[in-house]
This record gives sequence, C-alpha cells and structure tokens, in this order.
Amino acid sequence: MNKALKFPMNYFPEEVIEHIFDFIASHRDRNSISLVSKSWHKIERYSRHQVFIGNCYAISPERLIRRFPCLRSLTLKGKPHFADFNLVPHEWGGFLHPWIDALSKARVGLEELRLKRMVVSDESLELLSRSFVSFKSLVLVSCDGFTTDGLASIAANCRNLRELDLQENEIDDHRGQWLNCFPDSCTTLVSLNFACLKGEINLSALERLVARSTNLKSLKVNRAVPLDGLTRLMSCAPQLVDLGVGCYENEAEPESFASLMAAIKKCTLLRSLSGFSEVASVCLTAFYPICENLTSLNLSYAAEIQGNHLIEFVQFCKRLQLLWILDSIGDKGLEVVASSCKELQELRVFPSDPHDEEDNNTAVTEVGLVAISAGCPKLHSILYFCKQMTNEALITVAKNCPNFIRFRLCILEPNKPDHITSQSLDEGFGAIVQSCKGLRRLSVSGLLTDKVFLYIGMYAEQLEMLSIAFAGDTDKGMLYVLNGCKKLRKLEIRDSPFGNAALLADVGKYETMRSLWMSSCEVTLGGCKRLARNAPWLNVEIINENENENGRMERNEEDEREKVDRLYLYRTVVGTRKDAPPCVTIL
Amino acid sequence: MEICNSYSSSSVDSTKHSASESSVNLSLSLTFPSTSPQRATKQDWPPIKPRLRDTLKVRRRLLQRDYDTCLFVKVYMEGVPIGRKLDLSTFSGYESLLESLSQMFNTSIICGNHRDRKHHVLTYQDTDGDWMMVGDIPWEMFLETVRRLKITKPEGC
Repeated sequence: MNKALKFPMNYFPEEVIEHIFDFIASHRDRNSISLVSKSWHKIERYSRHQVFIGNCYAISPERLIRRFPCLRSLTLKGKPHFADFNLVPHEWGGFLHPWIDALSKARVGLEELRLKRMVVSDESLELLSRSFVSFKSLVLVSCDGFTTDGLASIAANCRNLRELDLQENEIDDHRGQWLNCFPDSCTTLVSLNFACLKGEINLSALERLVARSTNLKSLKVNRAVPLDGLTRLMSCAPQLVDLGVGCYENEAEPESFASLMAAIKKCTLLRSLSGFSEVASVCLTAFYPICENLTSLNLSYAAEIQGNHLIEFVQFCKRLQLLWILDSIGDKGLEVVASSCKELQELRVFPSDPHDEEDNNTAVTEVGLVAISAGCPKLHSILYFCKQMTNEALITVAKNCPNFIRFRLCILEPNKPDHITSQSLDEGFGAIVQSCKGLRRLSVSGLLTDKVFLYIGMYAEQLEMLSIAFAGDTDKGMLYVLNGCKKLRKLEIRDSPFGNAALLADVGKYETMRSLWMSSCEVTLGGCKRLARNAPWLNVEIINENENENGRMERNEEDEREKVDRLYLYRTVVGTRKDAPPCVTIL
Repeated sequence: MEICNSYSSSSVDSTKHSASESSVNLSLSLTFPSTSPQRATKQDWPPIKPRLRDTLKVRRRLLQRDYDTCLFVKVYMEGVPIGRKLDLSTFSGYESLLESLSQMFNTSIICGNHRDRKHHVLTYQDTDGDWMMVGDIPWEMFLETVRRLKITKPEGC
C-alpha cells in the first residue's frame, strides 16, 4: 500500500504540520506530540513559543534555549511550595540571573516572563529590560531580592510593556520615583499591579500613567493610594475590569465618598475586586452600585471589615465565581453565600485568628462548609481554614460536590479529631477521594491514621499534588500514596512519622514526579544517602539551617541515624546545582 | 507597618512589645503540644502566606492597642480615701493581680467566689457601669470590660 495513504500526516509539508501544532497549546500535549517521531520533534521544537518549567533546577537555561530557540514566553518556578510558610531558607536558591543572562546572550525574542518563588535581583531586571525589544509581560509571584530600582528599569526601558503584575512579593521599597520612569510615550499598559509594595508612590505620576493607558484593564494599587486618589484614577479609567483598592482613611468626608461612588458607578465593566487592607467597612459600601456585576472578589486582606458588613455586601454579588474571604464572615455568612452565589466555582476562607488568640466564636466550622457544598453546584476548588470538622460533614460535602478538582482543608489545631465523635477524620477524607474522581489537588489535616492514605492511594487516581501535615502512623501511610497515586507529581509532607522504609521502597517513582518534600519526619541521613546513591538522576537536598556558615555538613563522624530536618528531592537532567548555600547539602 | 523577618528562627517578633503581647506569644507554644516550642515560634503553622500573616498581625496589634488604652484602672479599698492606679496589662491573670493587690494594700484579698468574713473581696465596675465579682469570666474578657476595681471590706459585698 502507498505509504502516504497509510501514514498521511507524515507527508504533509512542514508548514501544515506546524500550523496544526499551533492549535495545541497545552504543555503536556505539546510534550506528547514531540515524542511521536523525529520530524515531529523537530517541527514542535521550532514552533514552541511557550515553555513552562515547574522546577528551575530540573533543566539548565542553555539546554532550554538549544531545544526551543523560538521561545517567547517562559514560566519558571523556584523554591518549593513550603517556602511560602517559612520552611525554606531565604538563600536556598532559585536565582533568575543565569536564565536572563543565557536568554540575553542567545538573543531569544522573549516577550513574557512569569516567575514564582524565584530570587530576582535589580541587575536581572535591568538586564531583562535592555535585552528583549518585544518584551511585553512580567508577572512575579512570591519572589524577592529586588527593589523598586529594578521596577524603574522595567518601566523606563520596556517600550512595549503591557503587563507588570507583582503578586505577594517581598520588594525593598526605596520610595523612589519608579512610576515616573514610564516614559510619556508608554501607552500600552493593560495590567498594572503593585499592591504588595509597602511604600509611598508618586500619585500624580500614577494618574498621568493611568490617563494615557487607554487599554488599561487591570489596576491594583497599594496602600499608599488614598480615597481621593482612587476616585481620580477610576474617573480616568472607567474601562477597568479588575481593580485592587488601597487604603482609605477611616472616616471619609461625605463629599469624597460621594465622588468615589459616582466614579465607581461609571465603571460598568468592573468584574473583579481586591485589596481593602486597612480599610474600614463603610468603604466597601461605595461598591454597591457594581457589586451585581462582580465575578471575582478577594477580601482576604480586608481584616478591618466586620463579618456583618461582609455578609451584607456578598449577598448582592449574585454572579460571583471566585470568592476569597476571611473567616470573620462566619458560618452564617457562608450560608448567605450559599444561597446568593449560585455561580461560585472557587472559594477560599482564610483564618482571621490563626493562633487562636481571640476569644470569639465567629470562625467557620463544618456547618459553613456543608452549606456551601449544598448551595453552590459549580464549586470545584476550595481552600478552607477552620477550627473543627466532622466526618459526617465531609461525607455530606463529598456527596454534594463530586466535581471537586482542588480540595484543601486546614484544621488549625494539628491532630484534631472529629469534634463530635472524637474519631479520626480518615472516613471523611476517604469519602472525598472516593466521590471526587477528578480530584487533582488535596491537602489533609486533623487527626489522621494510615487509613486515610490507603483510601487516597486506592481512589485518588487523578491526584497530582498532595500536602500532608501532622498525619499518619507508620511508613505504610506514605507507601499507600506512592504506590497508589499514579499521576502524583508533587508530594509535600511535614511533621509526620514516615521514614526510610517509605522513602526507599520505590526509588523509580521519583522519576515520575516533579519533587518530594519531607520535613520533621523520620527519615535519616543514612536513608537519604542511600537514596542519592541509587538514584543519580535525582538531586537529594538536605536543608539544615543550623549549620554554621563555615562550611557544609562538617561531620566526619557523620551519624547516619541522625534524622534529617528537611529533605527536598527532585528529578533533574542537569545534575547537582552549583549555587547551593552552606545550609543546603546535596548528597 | 512592621515587617516581620520571616526567616528568623529565634523569635516571633524581633522587637519587644508590652507584656501582654509577650504573654500572647507564650500561648503560641502551648497551643500545639505535638510540636516543639521552637517550631511554633517559627511561624510556619498554620500555612498562610507572609502578606496575610503581616495583615493579621497589624490587625492584632490594633486590637491589642484598644485593650491597652483601657488597661490603666483605678483601685480603691473601702475605707481608704486614696486610691491607686494599676496597669492591668502587666498581669498574666487573676492570681498575679490578687497577689499584687494584696501586697499593695497590705491585706489578703480574694476573688468573689471564695467569700468569707475574714478576707477582702475584689470587685470591678464594667463598661456597663455594673459592679461585678472579679474572677467569673476569662481573664482576656475581663481586661476588655473592666473600668475600675474596688476592694470591699469583709462584711459587706
């Protein structure tokens, strides 16, 4: 038979195949098609414009550029997730500079850069701003190491900048004039978010920038922008879709307040609202005119707004799809959300009193969670901090919401059992994984035995990320997960009694995963060394903050039975990294 | 706004505040028996991000400040024309308060529930203006509501 009939696609001209590949955006699909044949691999390489690197140490910048020379958009992630909770030393790693350096030298036409938990320096930002003529979009999430001087370079040199989005970064604020550095000719901004900056800004520079950025859709300001300033900004940008509010004086003048409300009324396209830290309740009421249009509401920093005001506002937000809020809304508030927000897809409830220092009962309980599960049929993602939970509630939630993709429950007190039956919460979480067949991300808490992990291993077939804290009894728990969850990519464990037996049982498993984190568990130095020996394709890192700065682990009489404080291992194709600080030992 | 050094492993706050705040910090290590006190002060539980942690700290400090403005109270003993002024934030609870008052007024003072003819009884006036027995409600709640203290003679009450 004619080969062209049997394998038609191989005989298409390259441009046609490339055009077909253009429709395939997902990284995983692109990775798959690159494995089909040599020619497909080559076509895919040159047509790949977006690359996602979940662990910046899994590959080197040089190899990345060699494989994808036409790269335009790069996403890089550095420190492991638990770095968000102070478990990773600041100097651990994840430096941006080598990447910018290599991309610049290779003259890659970089247009977009998204970074998460990376260490970024002003020098890197300066180099970035000068190296890529078409650079359009910079998104930095949970990064640190830079100052507003670095932002000034970006503002000054990136002629085509459309997006500057700074989320939750630790930025040294030099209170300089970085906003002034946007040239008058810069009119292309679509998104500007500097909510995490702690210092003062030049208000008139900001106003002029906003006025000339006619395409601006998203603006999130920091606490330095007062009520009058916000009014002026909104007046010259009624086309805003996404707004992050700064800080208001507690008692706004009636005229100022009226002006603000008038400006808000004109923003008929506004769909997303956030900010409100250090803002009094009355200021939330200024947004009543547009609250019916809101699809996204983030009040997780609005610590000053009392529960009853939150409830009053939220009940009118009938189109909400995303709600992030503090637990001061209470179970009653969540019942209101359940009856008002029928379009809700993602809910996050954060603790307003994380260390249980206040003597109040307004935190949320299992009652609120059940109400939400019953009232919101489209809910697929939840992060819920609470003081207590029951198996019965979790079983009900599982029945009500079989469509969960992400389920993260954090009971504030470690090891807390079902507060009615005093039993472990194994059955409750077991119901969740059994019912939610598409579950991709799970965080467990409360009193849990090995049994919950048996359930997870048995039922959580699509699970990609699992977070475990203060749970389990023996190595069996961890083994159930490693053996059962075929799609597991990230496993992070803290303060749980899993040791060497679990760690070493199936070393090949870690090649199918991005990373494993274990802190305050039972693994020993000896176990980690054995793992490193048997798996040369892994970087096995021991983090020990208590080491003196004179050197790495200087114990000649190393006690192999000594427990490892923090273990972080990940697959890599480029071997041991060279930039590890003294507190990190790579075995 | 104070920026807490997130990676400091030595203490929760790098600056010292009033005694009431350090007694609050002490409670951190008692809340989680399954973890060492060092772990609790490292601020790694519950798993919330630094920006939220800072926001809540500011709120906590503002609330604390509200408590603080009410913490200086006048103390009178029945029969003694001159009263004393006391900073309640320096006490960790009822016991230390009673001990200190007993020393200050050179007599034995007890809380309301153990009344008898021999001892003075400590009462307080709350935000509603009512006189109540000291010791009935949790200490923190007492601090919120106390306006002044009175040490009554043994027979009366």
